[in-house]
Amino acid sequence: MQPTSEMPAYAQLFIEGLKEAGVSVVGAVPESLLAGVYRACARDNSLRYIPVTNEAELPGICAGTYLAGRRAIMVMENSGLRQACEPIARFAYCHAMPIVMAMSFRGEWGERNWWGHNHAQTMEPLLNALRIPFRFISKLDQIKPAIRKAYYHADSSNWPVAMVFTGECVETPAYEKN
Amino acid sequence: MKRIDVIKIMAGIITKDDLVTTSIGQTWDDWWNYKPANNTFFTGILGSVSSTALGLAVSLPHRRIVAIESDGSMLLNTGIMCTLGKERPANLTVVVMDNGIYENIGGPPTHTSANTDLAKMAAGAGCLNCHTATELSDFEARFRAMMEDDQMGYLVAKIDPFVRHQWEWKDRKPTDGIEDKYNFLRYVEQLEGVVIHPGAAQN
Repeated sequence: MQPTSEMPAYAQLFIEGLKEAGVSVVGAVPESLLAGVYRACARDNSLRYIPVTNEAELPGICAGTYLAGRRAIMVMENSGLRQACEPIARFAYCHAMPIVMAMSFRGEWGERNWWGHNHAQTMEPLLNALRIPFRFISKLDQIKPAIRKAYYHADSSNWPVAMVFTGECVETPAYEKN
Repeated sequence: MKRIDVIKIMAGIITKDDLVTTSIGQTWDDWWNYKPANNTFFTGILGSVSSTALGLAVSLPHRRIVAIESDGSMLLNTGIMCTLGKERPANLTVVVMDNGIYENIGGPPTHTSANTDLAKMAAGAGCLNCHTATELSDFEARFRAMMEDDQMGYLVAKIDPFVRHQWEWKDRKPTDGIEDKYNFLRYVEQLEGVVIHPGAAQN
């Protein structure tokens, strides 16, 4: 399939990566930087796409899916990490629960939204405080291997992991198009 | 209604083939003593009991899933009502043990002791078969129907505050959260014939 404006290359690779990793449930709070991923998930009948009201719902959905013997991913902007901190921490520290997160990196170098910088400024300290391993994914050819390895890492460590998408792997912000 | 009596009714209807999530609190010790098998994930996170049950429900649509919630847990994450109301998993029944207090910390009131009606909130959020039971006979009839009707259900059980069954230490739930996870996932592995957590890979 050729990339289109509706299905950009990063989204296509993301969805293919999920399917190759055996993911069946995608929980998300939609936002702009991974817009293509949310659109694609909503249209794909082989994935159960569950949009939620608050990122704090996502760790439970992922944990329940894992306990059912299936694979889930939670997708959100990096600001969602702050909303989801308490259940992520509890699932990790109380239950040793593998959870795979994907988040867009709002606040990238050159950010022009005043409200976006705090997302980047707090993300890494929070992930480090929670002791969650993470990787930045900025090139298209990194997407599928990163998703595959995220499940290996989470499942064998019994711990959450995070992929932070930026560069070629997110939408071009509107202010860079104009 | 006394919580222990509600638990006994549920234990008579939930089978070994069903899967359960429960909220932190006195329910843990009660359900520990009446659960039909290791078919329960004792969720150590207020606000994540129904979301965990939702993950189970959408992943195992052929199996009945029950979330035993508390008013404090529901109130901590009311957004999940809207997600349940959108998804409406046919195999999921949510039971809220609503005593109107935060019992484990001494009993300060929750908002359900004032003006908040969880069943009406759930109905407004799109959940199906929302009901509040104040009598055991009504609770039993509603719960049985919800478990058998192939639709989602949301049942609030108004239980007496400050009334708890006094379990001896030997009968209290002895497991921690990690043991709970393994007990549950090994049970699901047997039930579903799958491997969820394998041993280490070769070097």
